[in-house]
Amino acid sequence: MITAGFQLAGVCVVFGGGVAALRDVDLAVEPGEAVGLVGPSGAGKTTLLRLLNGTLRPTAGSVAVGGADLAALPPRDLRALRSRIGVIHQDLDLVPNLRVVKNVLAGRLGRLSLLGSLRLLLLPPRREVRRVYEILERVGIADKLYERTDRLSGGQRQRVAIARALYQDPAALVADEPVSSVDPARARYTVALLAELCRERRLTLCVSLHSLDLARELLPRLVGMRRGRVLFDRPAGELGDADFHALYDLEPDEVLAHGC
Amino acid sequence: MAAEGPVGLRGWTLLGILAAGLWAAWALRLDPAGLVPGQGGLAVARELFARAASPALAYEAEVVPEGIVPLWLRALQASRTTVVFAAAAVSLSAACGLLLGFLASTAWWADDPAGGRAGLSKRIRRAAAPLLYGATRTLVALMRSVHELLWAVLFLAALGRSNLTAVIAIAIPYAGTLAKVFSELIDEAPREAAAALRAAGAGPLQVFLFGLLPRALPDMSAYALYRFECALRSSAILGFFGYPTLGYYIAASFENLHYGEVWTYLYTLVALVALVDLWSGVLRRRFVR
Repeated sequence: MITAGFQLAGVCVVFGGGVAALRDVDLAVEPGEAVGLVGPSGAGKTTLLRLLNGTLRPTAGSVAVGGADLAALPPRDLRALRSRIGVIHQDLDLVPNLRVVKNVLAGRLGRLSLLGSLRLLLLPPRREVRRVYEILERVGIADKLYERTDRLSGGQRQRVAIARALYQDPAALVADEPVSSVDPARARYTVALLAELCRERRLTLCVSLHSLDLARELLPRLVGMRRGRVLFDRPAGELGDADFHALYDLEPDEVLAHGC
Repeated sequence: MAAEGPVGLRGWTLLGILAAGLWAAWALRLDPAGLVPGQGGLAVARELFARAASPALAYEAEVVPEGIVPLWLRALQASRTTVVFAAAAVSLSAACGLLLGFLASTAWWADDPAGGRAGLSKRIRRAAAPLLYGATRTLVALMRSVHELLWAVLFLAALGRSNLTAVIAIAIPYAGTLAKVFSELIDEAPREAAAALRAAGAGPLQVFLFGLLPRALPDMSAYALYRFECALRSSAILGFFGYPTLGYYIAASFENLHYGEVWTYLYTLVALVALVDLWSGVLRRRFVR
């Protein structure tokens, strides 16, 4: 699997308590395509992204990655599939008291046996450290290779998270609000970097963003979501202000609703 | 909670504790008069404390056998023995505590809810994990509920007085305590990193080893160091059973009424504990930053 697309057909997700997070969502992302998800908090963006690597299963409908229906995959294959999807959150999912190199190396665990992973993490071969170094170089923090991760700034940690996803040698990158905790300049840099990396390596990219401006500027295709439904799905250039008004013109009960 | 009359929940709790204390004192017939020592006791106490400011620098026995090491050297040797027993016991209990602590934690069970079709190995794990957890928790509680002195009595009777007996006697309750605290530290460690690794396809053991354990390790090391200080005291006390640690010489000198020597050994023990405290404090600060 070099690069993988996503196909969602008739997907509904209902959480306990009968709250529908996604209703009848159809979405097809071609291999190598970059898609931005926009919409207010609670629209179902996070839920949708969690479906893409099988962290969440749909209540109805089907999710396919690289042509394989996730529901039909035996655990071993599901694990193999996950190891090929790089997921980037903010910067909280790194181990703060480990060195950067270890955090990045941990991206490979999904494709290793227990013994293999012990060897990689405790006695990393020079070849692998070299690879980690090259990836860090690409994301601009090569000098932090042996730094303790908690000594890095928020923006630098985020790049460590991106480097870990790249070290997975992924077929697709999925990023959930990757920049909601950094300042606008860094946010722009990070999203641009993600888009660039995916173009360079022919990776599929699905990223959810709060900032409309960033999404319009850096991503070719935008999917607008509201109340668990896809409101629009069009090239960024074709979207007008009216579309975004429709997206964010919240009703009072939506303002109070929490994100999911 | 709404107001519950003039006393309130906190007031009742305090009253309850006070009542329990009074009842216990009555049940034990605690009488302050018991604190006034008898004639003989007073004399011993006076003699003992008279020497507090002047610990012995040489043996107080009238006849000191030929070829015996000087007092200061013997105190140092006893200190070394105390440290060695403590180190052996804590090393053993840390290894056992790590294994038992892993089994007694719940963090590694957590399957992701969308794990696909449940395979055979997963179903076995899901069924076995709570059993293993319960059995380990019980075992750990049993190990802890018996004090190291009682374990020592048991093992001395069963196995005789070997160094291993003493080490095991300390290591059993310590391993129990370490396992309990380790398991709680592991379960309380933040799980974001673990979730991320699981999402990237890592198996449960890999997630535990590389996502959870590293986060808990600094606190676990700091606690193990603290247990080493406790083990020093336990090791000294095991001297009462004849092991040549500081406790042995303290007891011997006391029985021979050599109170100056008692103070020499006591001060050595205090210095030793203070020294280890200082050293482990430096290490702890380095672990937990």
